[in-house]
Amino acid sequence: MPLDTSSYSLALLRVDGRRWNELRRINAQIRTQAAADGSSYLEMGHTKVMCVVTGPSEPFGPARVGRTGAGAGATAGASGGEAGVVVSIVVAGFSSVDRKRRGRGDKRIQELQSTISSALAASLHTHLFPHSTISISLHVLSQDGSLLAALINAATLACVDAGIPMTDYVAACTAGSTSTYAANDESADPLLDLNHQEEQELPGLTVATLGDSDRVAVLVCESRVQVSRLEGMLAVGVDGCKQVRAILDRVVRDKGRKMVQEGTVQKGVGLEDMEVD
Amino acid sequence: MPREAEPSLNEKQFVIQALQSNLRLDGRKFDQYRPLEVSFGEQYGVVEVKLGKTRILAKASAEVTVPYVDRPLDGIFTIATELSPMASPAFEVNRPTETEVLLSRLLEKTVRRSGALDTESLCLVAGQKCWHVRVDVHILSHDGDLIDAACFATVASLRHFRKPDTSIENGVLTVYTPAEREPVPLGWLHSPFCVTWSFYGDEGEIAVLDATWLEEAVRVGSCTISLNRHGEICQIAKLGGTPVEALSLLQCTSIALVRVKEFSALLDKKLAEDAKRRDRGGLLAELSAENDR
Repeated sequence: MPLDTSSYSLALLRVDGRRWNELRRINAQIRTQAAADGSSYLEMGHTKVMCVVTGPSEPFGPARVGRTGAGAGATAGASGGEAGVVVSIVVAGFSSVDRKRRGRGDKRIQELQSTISSALAASLHTHLFPHSTISISLHVLSQDGSLLAALINAATLACVDAGIPMTDYVAACTAGSTSTYAANDESADPLLDLNHQEEQELPGLTVATLGDSDRVAVLVCESRVQVSRLEGMLAVGVDGCKQVRAILDRVVRDKGRKMVQEGTVQKGVGLEDMEVD
Repeated sequence: MPREAEPSLNEKQFVIQALQSNLRLDGRKFDQYRPLEVSFGEQYGVVEVKLGKTRILAKASAEVTVPYVDRPLDGIFTIATELSPMASPAFEVNRPTETEVLLSRLLEKTVRRSGALDTESLCLVAGQKCWHVRVDVHILSHDGDLIDAACFATVASLRHFRKPDTSIENGVLTVYTPAEREPVPLGWLHSPFCVTWSFYGDEGEIAVLDATWLEEAVRVGSCTISLNRHGEICQIAKLGGTPVEALSLLQCTSIALVRVKEFSALLDKKLAEDAKRRDRGGLLAELSAENDR
Protein backbone atom coordinates (compact mmCIF):
# COMPACT_ATOMS: atom_id res chain seq x y z
CA MET A 1 0.00 0.00 0.00
CA PRO A 2 1.35 3.42 -0.89
CA LEU A 3 0.44 4.98 2.46
CA ASP A 4 2.98 5.19 5.22
CA THR A 5 2.44 5.17 8.94
CA SER A 6 5.89 3.82 9.73
CA SER A 7 7.06 7.18 11.05
CA TYR A 8 5.19 6.44 14.28
CA SER A 9 8.25 5.08 16.06
CA LEU A 10 10.20 8.32 15.51
CA ALA A 11 8.07 10.76 17.50
CA LEU A 12 5.36 8.45 18.85
CA LEU A 13 2.84 10.58 16.99
CA ARG A 14 0.34 9.15 14.55
CA VAL A 15 -0.36 10.45 11.03
CA ASP A 16 -2.95 12.90 12.30
CA GLY A 17 -0.82 14.04 15.24
CA ARG A 18 -2.51 12.04 17.99
CA ARG A 19 -0.83 10.03 20.72
CA TRP A 20 -1.59 6.30 21.00
CA ASN A 21 -4.39 6.70 23.55
CA GLU A 22 -6.21 9.72 22.12
CA LEU A 23 -9.66 9.63 20.60
CA ARG A 24 -10.50 11.82 17.67
CA ARG A 25 -12.85 14.72 18.33
CA ILE A 26 -16.35 13.41 18.87
CA ASN A 27 -19.12 15.86 18.15
CA ALA A 28 -22.66 14.68 18.64
CA GLN A 29 -26.17 16.12 18.70
CA ILE A 30 -29.49 14.57 19.51
CA ARG A 31 -32.98 15.57 18.42
CA THR A 32 -31.78 16.88 15.09
CA GLN A 33 -35.00 15.97 13.27
CA ALA A 34 -38.03 17.47 14.94
CA ALA A 35 -40.50 15.18 13.21
CA ALA A 36 -38.78 11.91 14.08
CA ASP A 37 -39.34 9.87 17.25
CA GLY A 38 -35.64 9.96 17.90
CA SER A 39 -32.69 11.26 15.92
CA SER A 40 -29.01 11.96 16.26
CA TYR A 41 -25.99 13.19 14.35
CA LEU A 42 -22.51 12.04 15.25
CA GLU A 43 -19.02 12.90 14.06
CA MET A 44 -15.97 10.86 15.04
CA GLY A 45 -13.20 12.78 13.36
CA HIS A 46 -14.21 12.89 9.72
CA THR A 47 -16.62 9.98 9.97
CA LYS A 48 -20.08 11.50 9.97
CA VAL A 49 -23.32 9.60 10.42
CA MET A 50 -26.97 10.47 10.97
CA CYS A 51 -29.57 8.33 12.62
CA VAL A 52 -33.36 8.42 12.75
CA VAL A 53 -35.39 6.10 14.96
CA THR A 54 -39.06 5.40 14.33
CA GLY A 55 -41.04 3.53 16.89
CA PRO A 56 -41.72 1.45 18.80
CA SER A 57 -44.66 1.29 16.46
CA GLU A 58 -46.90 -1.25 14.83
CA PRO A 59 -45.10 -3.11 12.10
CA PHE A 60 -46.20 -1.82 8.69
CA GLY A 61 -47.82 -4.44 6.51
CA PRO A 62 -48.32 -8.11 7.30
CA ALA A 63 -45.33 -9.15 5.21
CA ARG A 64 -42.95 -7.51 7.62
CA VAL A 65 -44.01 -9.41 10.71
CA GLY A 66 -41.49 -11.93 11.84
CA ARG A 67 -39.24 -11.49 8.87
CA THR A 68 -35.62 -12.21 9.53
CA GLY A 69 -33.12 -10.18 7.65
CA ALA A 70 -34.74 -10.32 4.23
CA GLY A 71 -35.35 -7.12 2.33
CA ALA A 72 -33.95 -3.76 3.27
CA GLY A 73 -32.96 -4.23 6.87
CA ALA A 74 -31.87 -6.70 9.48
CA THR A 75 -34.21 -7.74 12.25
CA ALA A 76 -33.46 -9.06 15.69
CA GLY A 77 -35.89 -10.56 18.16
CA ALA A 78 -38.89 -10.18 15.91
CA SER A 79 -40.85 -12.96 17.55
CA GLY A 80 -44.23 -11.95 18.96
CA GLY A 81 -43.16 -11.48 22.59
CA GLU A 82 -40.80 -8.60 22.04
CA ALA A 83 -40.22 -5.71 19.66
CA GLY A 84 -38.16 -6.30 16.55
CA VAL A 85 -35.22 -3.98 15.90
CA VAL A 86 -34.91 -3.24 12.20
CA VAL A 87 -31.77 -1.48 11.07
CA SER A 88 -31.18 -0.11 7.62
CA ILE A 89 -27.99 1.60 6.54
CA VAL A 90 -27.64 3.91 3.59
CA VAL A 91 -24.12 4.77 2.54
CA ALA A 92 -24.09 8.02 0.58
CA GLY A 93 -22.24 7.85 -2.72
CA PHE A 94 -20.17 10.90 -1.81
CA SER A 95 -19.12 9.52 1.58
CA SER A 96 -15.71 8.20 0.57
CA VAL A 97 -13.01 9.29 -1.84
CA ASP A 98 -13.94 6.96 -4.65
CA ARG A 99 -17.56 6.98 -5.60
CA LYS A 100 -18.66 3.39 -5.32
CA ARG A 101 -22.12 2.23 -6.08
CA ARG A 102 -23.28 -0.18 -3.43
CA GLY A 103 -26.47 -2.12 -3.97
CA ARG A 104 -28.95 -3.14 -1.34
CA GLY A 105 -27.64 -6.66 -1.54
CA ASP A 106 -24.15 -5.70 -0.38
CA LYS A 107 -23.20 -8.37 2.14
CA ARG A 108 -20.92 -6.05 4.10
CA ILE A 109 -23.76 -3.62 4.71
CA GLN A 110 -26.10 -6.46 5.59
CA GLU A 111 -23.58 -7.72 8.12
CA LEU A 112 -23.32 -4.22 9.66
CA GLN A 113 -27.11 -3.99 9.86
CA SER A 114 -27.49 -7.31 11.60
CA THR A 115 -24.63 -6.51 13.99
CA ILE A 116 -26.16 -3.20 15.06
CA SER A 117 -29.65 -4.60 15.36
CA SER A 118 -28.58 -7.53 17.52
CA ALA A 119 -26.27 -5.38 19.66
CA LEU A 120 -28.99 -2.86 20.41
CA ALA A 121 -31.69 -5.50 20.87
CA ALA A 122 -29.65 -6.86 23.79
CA SER A 123 -29.60 -3.46 25.50
CA LEU A 124 -33.07 -2.15 24.66
CA HIS A 125 -35.94 -3.45 26.78
CA THR A 126 -37.74 -4.90 23.79
CA HIS A 127 -39.98 -7.09 25.93
CA LEU A 128 -41.94 -3.97 26.94
CA PHE A 129 -43.20 -3.53 23.38
CA PRO A 130 -44.57 -6.84 22.11
CA HIS A 131 -45.74 -7.07 18.49
CA SER A 132 -44.02 -3.84 17.48
CA THR A 133 -41.04 -2.65 15.56
CA ILE A 134 -38.26 -0.23 16.36
CA SER A 135 -36.85 0.89 13.07
CA ILE A 136 -33.44 2.50 13.03
CA SER A 137 -32.30 4.14 9.85
CA LEU A 138 -28.69 5.18 9.55
CA HIS A 139 -27.14 7.40 6.93
CA VAL A 140 -23.39 7.51 6.37
CA LEU A 141 -22.42 10.99 5.18
CA SER A 142 -18.66 10.75 5.34
CA GLN A 143 -16.29 7.85 5.97
CA ASP A 144 -12.90 8.07 7.63
CA GLY A 145 -12.48 4.82 9.52
CA SER A 146 -14.29 3.40 12.57
CA LEU A 147 -17.54 3.27 10.63
CA LEU A 148 -19.18 0.50 12.66
CA ALA A 149 -18.28 2.25 15.92
CA ALA A 150 -19.78 5.55 14.73
CA LEU A 151 -22.94 3.80 13.56
CA ILE A 152 -23.42 2.05 16.90
CA ASN A 153 -22.87 5.27 18.86
CA ALA A 154 -25.29 7.23 16.67
CA ALA A 155 -27.93 4.50 16.95
CA THR A 156 -27.57 4.46 20.74
CA LEU A 157 -28.01 8.24 20.96
CA ALA A 158 -31.07 8.16 18.71
CA CYS A 159 -32.63 5.40 20.84
CA VAL A 160 -32.03 7.49 23.95
CA ASP A 161 -33.69 10.43 22.21
CA ALA A 162 -36.65 8.26 21.23
CA GLY A 163 -37.10 7.46 24.91
CA ILE A 164 -36.93 3.70 24.50
CA PRO A 165 -36.01 2.12 27.85
CA MET A 166 -32.57 0.54 27.73
CA THR A 167 -30.11 -1.03 30.15
CA ASP A 168 -27.27 1.32 29.37
CA TYR A 169 -25.48 3.06 26.51
CA VAL A 170 -23.87 0.77 23.94
CA ALA A 171 -20.66 2.69 23.27
CA ALA A 172 -18.19 1.65 20.61
CA CYS A 173 -14.73 2.53 19.37
CA THR A 174 -11.84 0.94 17.52
CA ALA A 175 -8.38 -0.11 18.61
CA GLY A 176 -5.34 -1.17 16.64
CA SER A 177 -1.72 -2.13 16.97
CA THR A 178 1.31 -0.43 15.43
CA SER A 179 2.96 -3.65 14.41
CA THR A 180 2.10 -5.40 11.19
CA TYR A 181 0.96 -8.99 11.57
CA ALA A 182 4.26 -10.46 10.52
CA ALA A 183 6.47 -8.51 12.87
CA ASN A 184 7.17 -10.08 16.22
CA ASP A 185 8.45 -6.88 17.80
CA GLU A 186 7.79 -6.28 21.46
CA SER A 187 7.77 -2.51 21.07
CA ALA A 188 4.39 -2.46 19.32
CA ASP A 189 1.97 0.01 20.88
CA PRO A 190 -1.76 -0.42 20.89
CA LEU A 191 -3.62 2.49 19.24
CA LEU A 192 -7.01 3.95 20.02
CA ASP A 193 -9.61 5.04 17.47
CA LEU A 194 -8.18 4.31 14.02
CA ASN A 195 -8.77 6.61 11.08
CA HIS A 196 -9.17 5.35 7.52
CA GLN A 197 -5.46 5.36 6.71
CA GLU A 198 -4.54 3.43 9.85
CA GLU A 199 -7.40 1.03 9.30
CA GLN A 200 -6.05 0.20 5.85
CA GLU A 201 -2.54 -0.52 7.03
CA LEU A 202 -2.63 -1.76 10.59
CA PRO A 203 -4.46 -4.60 12.28
CA GLY A 204 -7.44 -3.34 14.25
CA LEU A 205 -10.70 -4.26 15.87
CA THR A 206 -14.02 -2.66 16.76
CA VAL A 207 -15.31 -3.06 20.31
CA ALA A 208 -18.65 -2.05 21.74
CA THR A 209 -19.31 -2.35 25.45
CA LEU A 210 -22.41 -2.01 27.53
CA GLY A 211 -22.14 1.15 29.61
CA ASP A 212 -19.28 1.43 32.07
CA SER A 213 -18.77 -2.31 32.43
CA ASP A 214 -16.14 -4.48 30.78
CA ARG A 215 -18.80 -6.49 29.02
CA VAL A 216 -18.29 -6.63 25.29
CA ALA A 217 -21.38 -6.56 23.09
CA VAL A 218 -19.63 -6.38 19.74
CA LEU A 219 -16.12 -7.45 18.84
CA VAL A 220 -15.16 -7.41 15.20
CA CYS A 221 -11.65 -7.96 13.94
CA GLU A 222 -11.12 -8.23 10.20
CA SER A 223 -7.37 -8.26 9.89
CA ARG A 224 -4.62 -10.76 10.53
CA VAL A 225 -2.94 -10.20 13.86
CA GLN A 226 -0.93 -12.22 16.37
CA VAL A 227 -3.05 -13.69 19.15
CA SER A 228 -0.76 -12.09 21.76
CA ARG A 229 -1.71 -8.60 20.49
CA LEU A 230 -5.40 -9.17 21.15
CA GLU A 231 -5.23 -8.57 24.88
CA GLY A 232 -3.57 -5.17 24.54
CA MET A 233 -5.88 -4.06 21.76
CA LEU A 234 -8.97 -5.21 23.61
CA ALA A 235 -7.91 -3.44 26.82
CA VAL A 236 -7.33 -0.17 24.98
CA GLY A 237 -10.60 -0.60 23.07
CA VAL A 238 -12.66 -1.24 26.19
CA ASP A 239 -11.07 1.76 27.86
CA GLY A 240 -11.89 3.87 24.80
CA CYS A 241 -15.51 2.72 24.97
CA LYS A 242 -15.72 4.08 28.50
CA GLN A 243 -14.44 7.46 27.29
CA VAL A 244 -16.96 7.40 24.44
CA ARG A 245 -19.74 6.55 26.88
CA ALA A 246 -18.85 9.57 29.01
CA ILE A 247 -18.98 11.79 25.92
CA LEU A 248 -22.35 10.39 24.81
CA ASP A 249 -23.72 10.83 28.31
CA ARG A 250 -22.60 14.46 28.35
CA VAL A 251 -24.35 15.09 25.03
CA VAL A 252 -27.62 13.68 26.36
CA ARG A 253 -27.42 15.58 29.67
CA ASP A 254 -26.52 18.88 27.97
CA LYS A 255 -29.48 18.55 25.63
CA GLY A 256 -31.81 17.72 28.51
CA ARG A 257 -30.61 20.72 30.52
CA LYS A 258 -31.08 23.01 27.53
CA MET A 259 -34.60 21.76 26.94
CA VAL A 260 -35.52 22.37 30.57
CA GLN A 261 -34.09 25.89 30.44
CA GLU A 262 -35.90 26.69 27.21
CA GLY A 263 -39.10 25.35 28.68
CA THR A 264 -39.59 22.81 25.89
CA VAL A 265 -40.19 20.20 28.54
CA GLN A 266 -41.45 20.54 32.07
CA LYS A 267 -38.95 19.80 34.75
CA GLY A 268 -39.95 16.35 35.91
CA VAL A 269 -40.13 14.97 39.41
CA GLY A 270 -36.81 13.22 39.44
CA LEU A 271 -35.01 16.10 37.79
CA GLU A 272 -34.36 18.21 40.92
CA ASP A 273 -31.20 16.32 41.66
CA MET A 274 -29.89 17.05 38.15
CA GLU A 275 -27.62 20.05 38.51
CA VAL A 276 -28.96 22.73 36.15
CA ASP A 277 -26.36 25.43 35.78
CA MET B 1 -41.70 -17.54 3.53
CA PRO B 2 -41.77 -20.63 5.75
CA ARG B 3 -40.16 -20.22 9.10
CA GLU B 4 -38.22 -22.81 10.96
CA ALA B 5 -40.23 -24.27 13.83
CA GLU B 6 -38.87 -22.93 17.08
CA PRO B 7 -38.15 -25.35 19.89
CA SER B 8 -40.91 -25.43 22.48
CA LEU B 9 -40.63 -23.55 25.77
CA ASN B 10 -40.11 -26.84 27.62
CA GLU B 11 -37.26 -27.85 25.36
CA LYS B 12 -35.64 -24.44 25.71
CA GLN B 13 -35.86 -24.49 29.49
CA PHE B 14 -34.54 -28.03 29.62
CA VAL B 15 -31.45 -27.18 27.56
CA ILE B 16 -30.73 -24.04 29.57
CA GLN B 17 -31.19 -25.71 32.95
CA ALA B 18 -28.96 -28.57 31.86
CA LEU B 19 -26.27 -26.12 30.79
CA GLN B 20 -26.53 -24.31 34.11
CA SER B 21 -25.78 -27.58 35.88
CA ASN B 22 -22.78 -28.19 33.61
CA LEU B 23 -24.46 -30.74 31.37
CA ARG B 24 -25.11 -30.96 27.66
CA LEU B 25 -27.84 -33.04 26.10
CA ASP B 26 -25.41 -35.27 24.24
CA GLY B 27 -23.06 -35.66 27.18
CA ARG B 28 -20.17 -33.68 25.71
CA LYS B 29 -17.97 -31.34 27.66
CA PHE B 30 -18.48 -27.61 27.05
CA ASP B 31 -15.33 -27.29 24.98
CA GLN B 32 -15.67 -30.56 23.12
CA TYR B 33 -16.53 -30.96 19.45
CA ARG B 34 -18.68 -33.68 18.00
CA PRO B 35 -16.60 -36.20 16.05
CA LEU B 36 -15.47 -34.57 12.81
CA GLU B 37 -15.44 -36.87 9.78
CA VAL B 38 -13.74 -35.89 6.55
CA SER B 39 -14.00 -37.85 3.33
CA PHE B 40 -12.52 -36.91 -0.01
CA GLY B 41 -14.21 -37.63 -3.33
CA GLU B 42 -12.76 -39.35 -6.36
CA GLN B 43 -12.16 -35.97 -8.02
CA TYR B 44 -9.66 -33.48 -6.67
CA GLY B 45 -11.25 -30.80 -4.52
CA VAL B 46 -14.40 -32.65 -3.48
CA VAL B 47 -14.74 -32.92 0.29
CA GLU B 48 -17.57 -33.99 2.51
CA VAL B 49 -17.41 -32.97 6.15
CA LYS B 50 -19.65 -34.40 8.83
CA LEU B 51 -19.85 -32.82 12.23
CA GLY B 52 -22.39 -34.85 14.14
CA LYS B 53 -25.53 -34.55 12.00
CA THR B 54 -24.29 -31.45 10.18
CA ARG B 55 -23.17 -32.39 6.67
CA ILE B 56 -21.37 -30.12 4.27
CA LEU B 57 -20.10 -30.74 0.77
CA ALA B 58 -17.47 -28.45 -0.72
CA LYS B 59 -16.19 -28.58 -4.26
CA ALA B 60 -13.36 -26.52 -5.65
CA SER B 61 -13.04 -25.90 -9.37
CA ALA B 62 -10.92 -23.74 -11.63
CA GLU B 63 -11.35 -22.17 -15.04
CA VAL B 64 -9.35 -19.73 -17.14
CA THR B 65 -10.84 -16.22 -17.37
CA VAL B 66 -9.86 -12.59 -17.81
CA PRO B 67 -8.63 -10.93 -14.57
CA TYR B 68 -10.30 -7.88 -13.10
CA VAL B 69 -9.16 -4.63 -14.72
CA ASP B 70 -7.99 -3.10 -11.43
CA ARG B 71 -6.03 -6.24 -10.44
CA PRO B 72 -4.25 -7.45 -13.58
CA LEU B 73 -1.67 -9.49 -11.66
CA ASP B 74 -4.10 -11.41 -9.45
CA GLY B 75 -6.24 -14.42 -10.14
CA ILE B 76 -9.86 -14.56 -9.02
CA PHE B 77 -10.98 -16.51 -5.97
CA THR B 78 -14.60 -16.79 -4.94
CA ILE B 79 -16.48 -18.75 -2.33
CA ALA B 80 -20.14 -19.46 -3.02
CA THR B 81 -22.33 -20.71 -0.21
CA GLU B 82 -25.65 -22.32 -0.75
CA LEU B 83 -28.16 -23.14 1.93
CA SER B 84 -30.64 -25.26 0.06
CA PRO B 85 -34.15 -26.17 1.17
CA MET B 86 -32.77 -29.68 1.62
CA ALA B 87 -31.12 -28.61 4.89
CA SER B 88 -34.11 -26.82 6.33
CA PRO B 89 -37.47 -25.63 4.96
CA ALA B 90 -36.59 -22.11 6.12
CA PHE B 91 -33.95 -21.79 3.41
CA GLU B 92 -35.12 -20.74 -0.01
CA VAL B 93 -33.17 -20.73 -3.22
CA ASN B 94 -32.11 -17.26 -4.45
CA ARG B 95 -33.23 -15.57 -1.29
CA PRO B 96 -30.34 -15.37 1.13
CA THR B 97 -31.37 -15.46 4.76
CA GLU B 98 -29.37 -13.69 7.42
CA THR B 99 -27.66 -16.98 8.31
CA GLU B 100 -26.43 -17.38 4.78
CA VAL B 101 -25.19 -13.81 4.44
CA LEU B 102 -23.27 -14.05 7.72
CA LEU B 103 -21.88 -17.47 6.80
CA SER B 104 -20.58 -16.33 3.44
CA ARG B 105 -19.14 -13.13 4.93
CA LEU B 106 -17.33 -15.14 7.59
CA LEU B 107 -15.87 -17.57 5.06
CA GLU B 108 -14.88 -14.65 2.90
CA LYS B 109 -13.09 -12.91 5.77
CA THR B 110 -11.51 -16.08 7.12
CA VAL B 111 -10.22 -17.64 3.94
CA ARG B 112 -10.08 -14.92 1.31
CA ARG B 113 -9.20 -11.72 3.15
CA SER B 114 -6.64 -13.42 5.38
CA GLY B 115 -4.71 -14.33 2.23
CA ALA B 116 -4.79 -18.11 2.67
CA LEU B 117 -4.72 -18.64 -1.09
CA ASP B 118 -1.92 -16.94 -2.98
CA THR B 119 -3.97 -15.25 -5.71
CA GLU B 120 -0.88 -13.94 -7.49
CA SER B 121 0.10 -17.50 -8.34
CA LEU B 122 -3.19 -17.83 -10.23
CA CYS B 123 -2.10 -15.26 -12.81
CA LEU B 124 -1.21 -16.75 -16.19
CA VAL B 125 -0.73 -13.77 -18.55
CA ALA B 126 -0.78 -10.39 -16.80
CA GLY B 127 -4.01 -8.53 -17.54
CA GLN B 128 -5.22 -11.17 -19.99
CA LYS B 129 -5.52 -14.63 -18.54
CA CYS B 130 -5.82 -15.97 -15.04
CA TRP B 131 -7.34 -18.84 -13.11
CA HIS B 132 -10.67 -18.34 -11.45
CA VAL B 133 -10.78 -20.65 -8.43
CA ARG B 134 -14.23 -21.18 -7.07
CA VAL B 135 -15.38 -23.12 -4.04
CA ASP B 136 -19.01 -24.12 -3.82
CA VAL B 137 -20.12 -24.89 -0.30
CA HIS B 138 -23.35 -26.85 -0.07
CA ILE B 139 -25.10 -27.40 3.23
CA LEU B 140 -26.65 -30.84 3.01
CA SER B 141 -27.91 -31.10 6.56
CA HIS B 142 -28.10 -28.48 9.30
CA ASP B 143 -27.61 -29.50 12.89
CA GLY B 144 -25.79 -26.49 14.23
CA ASP B 145 -22.27 -25.10 13.98
CA LEU B 146 -22.45 -24.55 10.23
CA ILE B 147 -19.67 -22.00 10.30
CA ASP B 148 -16.93 -24.20 11.71
CA ALA B 149 -17.85 -27.15 9.52
CA ALA B 150 -18.17 -24.98 6.38
CA CYS B 151 -14.82 -23.34 7.02
CA PHE B 152 -13.14 -26.72 7.55
CA ALA B 153 -14.72 -28.03 4.34
CA THR B 154 -13.62 -24.97 2.36
CA VAL B 155 -10.02 -25.18 3.53
CA ALA B 156 -9.93 -28.96 3.04
CA SER B 157 -11.28 -28.75 -0.49
CA LEU B 158 -8.82 -26.02 -1.49
CA ARG B 159 -5.89 -27.94 -0.09
CA HIS B 160 -7.05 -31.14 -1.76
CA PHE B 161 -7.70 -29.43 -5.09
CA ARG B 162 -5.29 -29.70 -8.01
CA LYS B 163 -5.53 -27.33 -10.96
CA PRO B 164 -4.43 -28.38 -14.45
CA ASP B 165 -0.81 -27.70 -15.26
CA THR B 166 -0.09 -24.97 -17.83
CA SER B 167 2.79 -23.73 -19.86
CA ILE B 168 3.41 -20.70 -22.05
CA GLU B 169 5.57 -20.95 -25.13
CA ASN B 170 5.88 -18.04 -27.58
CA GLY B 171 2.85 -16.43 -26.04
CA VAL B 172 0.69 -19.50 -26.51
CA LEU B 173 -0.96 -20.78 -23.37
CA THR B 174 -1.39 -24.54 -23.12
CA VAL B 175 -3.57 -26.13 -20.47
CA TYR B 176 -2.70 -29.80 -20.05
CA THR B 177 -5.24 -32.51 -19.34
CA PRO B 178 -4.61 -34.73 -16.29
CA ALA B 179 -3.57 -37.50 -18.72
CA GLU B 180 -0.77 -35.35 -20.16
CA ARG B 181 0.57 -33.85 -16.97
CA GLU B 182 -0.29 -34.40 -13.34
CA PRO B 183 -2.38 -31.43 -12.03
CA VAL B 184 -0.63 -29.10 -9.57
CA PRO B 185 -1.75 -27.96 -6.11
CA LEU B 186 -2.71 -24.34 -5.42
CA GLY B 187 -0.28 -21.85 -3.89
CA TRP B 188 -1.40 -22.21 -0.28
CA LEU B 189 -0.03 -19.95 2.46
CA HIS B 190 -1.77 -20.87 5.71
CA SER B 191 -4.83 -22.77 6.85
CA PRO B 192 -7.33 -20.76 8.91
CA PHE B 193 -10.09 -22.50 10.86
CA CYS B 194 -13.17 -21.09 12.56
CA VAL B 195 -14.14 -21.86 16.13
CA THR B 196 -17.58 -20.71 17.24
CA TRP B 197 -18.51 -20.15 20.86
CA SER B 198 -22.12 -19.93 21.94
CA PHE B 199 -23.02 -18.03 25.10
CA TYR B 200 -25.77 -18.76 27.61
CA GLY B 201 -27.01 -17.16 30.81
CA ASP B 202 -28.00 -13.60 31.63
CA GLU B 203 -24.44 -12.32 31.42
CA GLY B 204 -23.23 -14.82 28.85
CA GLU B 205 -21.16 -16.55 31.51
CA ILE B 206 -21.60 -20.06 30.06
CA ALA B 207 -19.57 -20.62 26.89
CA VAL B 208 -20.05 -23.71 24.77
CA LEU B 209 -18.28 -24.96 21.65
CA ASP B 210 -19.91 -26.65 18.67
CA ALA B 211 -23.55 -26.00 19.57
CA THR B 212 -26.17 -28.24 18.00
CA TRP B 213 -29.20 -26.78 16.25
CA LEU B 214 -31.23 -26.90 19.45
CA GLU B 215 -28.46 -25.28 21.46
CA GLU B 216 -28.06 -22.59 18.80
CA ALA B 217 -31.77 -21.82 19.00
CA VAL B 218 -31.58 -20.94 22.69
CA ARG B 219 -28.21 -19.15 22.85
CA VAL B 220 -28.04 -15.47 23.76
CA GLY B 221 -24.96 -14.68 21.72
CA SER B 222 -22.11 -16.17 19.77
CA CYS B 223 -18.54 -15.37 18.86
CA THR B 224 -16.65 -16.84 15.92
CA ILE B 225 -12.87 -16.75 16.13
CA SER B 226 -10.73 -17.69 13.14
CA LEU B 227 -7.12 -18.62 13.70
CA ASN B 228 -4.37 -20.59 12.06
CA ARG B 229 -1.98 -22.92 13.83
CA HIS B 230 0.73 -20.23 13.94
CA GLY B 231 -1.41 -18.31 16.43
CA GLU B 232 -2.53 -15.60 14.04
CA ILE B 233 -6.07 -14.31 14.36
CA CYS B 234 -7.63 -14.04 10.92
CA GLN B 235 -10.96 -12.70 12.02
CA ILE B 236 -13.11 -12.33 15.13
CA ALA B 237 -16.84 -11.78 14.89
CA LYS B 238 -19.02 -11.25 17.88
CA LEU B 239 -21.89 -9.62 16.08
CA GLY B 240 -24.08 -8.29 18.85
CA GLY B 241 -26.00 -10.45 21.29
CA THR B 242 -25.76 -10.36 25.06
CA PRO B 243 -22.58 -8.62 26.25
CA VAL B 244 -19.83 -10.94 27.53
CA GLU B 245 -16.94 -10.13 29.87
CA ALA B 246 -13.83 -9.11 27.93
CA LEU B 247 -11.68 -11.50 29.97
CA SER B 248 -13.78 -14.53 29.12
CA LEU B 249 -13.47 -13.61 25.43
CA LEU B 250 -9.69 -13.72 25.80
CA GLN B 251 -9.98 -17.14 27.43
CA CYS B 252 -12.20 -18.31 24.59
CA THR B 253 -9.53 -17.23 22.14
CA SER B 254 -6.80 -19.23 23.83
CA ILE B 255 -8.96 -22.38 23.94
CA ALA B 256 -9.85 -21.75 20.30
CA LEU B 257 -6.15 -21.80 19.42
CA VAL B 258 -5.82 -25.31 20.91
CA ARG B 259 -8.81 -26.52 18.90
CA VAL B 260 -7.43 -24.97 15.72
CA LYS B 261 -4.14 -26.82 16.17
CA GLU B 262 -6.14 -30.05 16.49
CA PHE B 263 -8.11 -29.25 13.32
CA SER B 264 -4.90 -28.47 11.51
CA ALA B 265 -3.29 -31.78 12.55
CA LEU B 266 -6.46 -33.70 11.62
CA LEU B 267 -6.60 -32.15 8.15
CA ASP B 268 -2.90 -32.79 7.54
CA LYS B 269 -3.38 -36.42 8.52
CA LYS B 270 -6.44 -36.90 6.31
CA LEU B 271 -4.75 -35.26 3.33
CA ALA B 272 -1.68 -37.45 3.76
CA GLU B 273 -3.88 -40.57 3.94
CA ASP B 274 -5.70 -39.55 0.79
CA ALA B 275 -2.47 -38.79 -1.06
CA LYS B 276 -1.18 -42.25 -0.10
CA ARG B 277 -4.37 -43.85 -1.36
CA ARG B 278 -4.08 -42.10 -4.73
CA ASP B 279 -0.39 -42.74 -5.12
CA ARG B 280 -0.62 -46.44 -5.92
CA GLY B 281 2.74 -47.84 -6.97
CA GLY B 282 4.53 -44.53 -6.39
CA LEU B 283 3.93 -43.31 -9.95
CA LEU B 284 2.94 -39.80 -8.95
CA ALA B 285 6.46 -38.57 -8.31
CA GLU B 286 7.43 -39.62 -11.82
CA LEU B 287 4.45 -38.00 -13.51
CA SER B 288 4.85 -34.67 -11.78
CA ALA B 289 6.36 -31.83 -13.77
CA GLU B 290 6.96 -29.77 -10.65
CA ASN B 291 10.39 -29.05 -9.22
CA ASP B 292 11.24 -29.14 -5.54
CA ARG B 293 11.82 -25.61 -4.30
